[in-house]
Amino acid sequence: MDSKTLTCAPRTDFGKGGAKRVRKEGKIPAVIYGHNEPVSISIDAREFSKKFHTVSENTIITLKDKDKSYDVLVKEYQDDILTEKILHIDFFEIERGKVLKTHVPVHTTGNAIGVKLGGVLEVSLHELEIECLPKDLPQEIVVDITPLELNASVHVSDITPPAGVKILTAPETSVLHIATIKKEEAAPVAEESPEAAESEDSSGSESEE
Amino acid sequence: MLSPKRTKYRKRHRGNWKGNATTGNKISFGDFGLVSTENKWITNRQIEAARIAMTRHIKRGGKVWIRIFPDIPYTKKPAETRMGKGKGNPEYWVANVKPGTVMFEMAGVSTELAKEAMRLAGSKLPIITKFAVRRDLEQ
Repeated sequence: MDSKTLTCAPRTDFGKGGAKRVRKEGKIPAVIYGHNEPVSISIDAREFSKKFHTVSENTIITLKDKDKSYDVLVKEYQDDILTEKILHIDFFEIERGKVLKTHVPVHTTGNAIGVKLGGVLEVSLHELEIECLPKDLPQEIVVDITPLELNASVHVSDITPPAGVKILTAPETSVLHIATIKKEEAAPVAEESPEAAESEDSSGSESEE
Repeated sequence: MLSPKRTKYRKRHRGNWKGNATTGNKISFGDFGLVSTENKWITNRQIEAARIAMTRHIKRGGKVWIRIFPDIPYTKKPAETRMGKGKGNPEYWVANVKPGTVMFEMAGVSTELAKEAMRLAGSKLPIITKFAVRRDLEQ
């Protein structure tokens, strides 16, 4: 289990304008919800973005206010798609000693036999949904791909979870497989004109001038 | 080159290209992506040129996903034609790309190789692009 600490301050400025003013001050508007009443807070943007590279949905963060502290997970975040700045964060408050559901990333280790033979490792499921106590929360689930040959695949049922962790994702779901890559063919010389696609057009199309 | 198999209507209105991409703006399949920072129509020839540039650079190993599809017919009037007499003939297909659209994705290669392949692909496109990495890989 990985844990980090951040400082937070209660927020009284709400809405679109309020959030903008908070961001202008170099803070990120956020909300904490869970088993208690929701609390609106703001956190320092620079401090969060420094630590957020190693923060994911499975990292327990301790948010420290002046007189209170919250154990939370990042449930969701909104970011600007161009500047990649974090705009708003949803924190989910957890209870120590109570089972929680979350997602953990799947990472691979080793060099597969199939990859050495010219295949490509294709990961189709990057995260697994798990259920566990906060103290057992793993940072990642590691899959050893060394024995995998060409066209071999790993399903959720093949993964052994760490002690105290239950995987909730459907066991028949494919996590990764070693795909055979076709050789790139030379680009076709003949052009596909839009007329080709129009050959099956409905008879109601407009008449040509 | 990419083009629709069949269409309901031969010609269509141009539509609008305002705003940022609200869908297709996340890296969903691979580990690396080529993201648009502008809005523009990308033709099927440009998509094919970019695809060839990146697949040739990564040689073998690695997988490429094309996340945009040119489904808008682009019409043109023949040369030396007087104005009027209706809309021109469909010439090629375009995809409407908005800022934030992940146009290509790649997996199974190193970050350096992917970055260079994406740079080469981006140079085949009429827009300024940027290289993106899936957040959990950034660590």
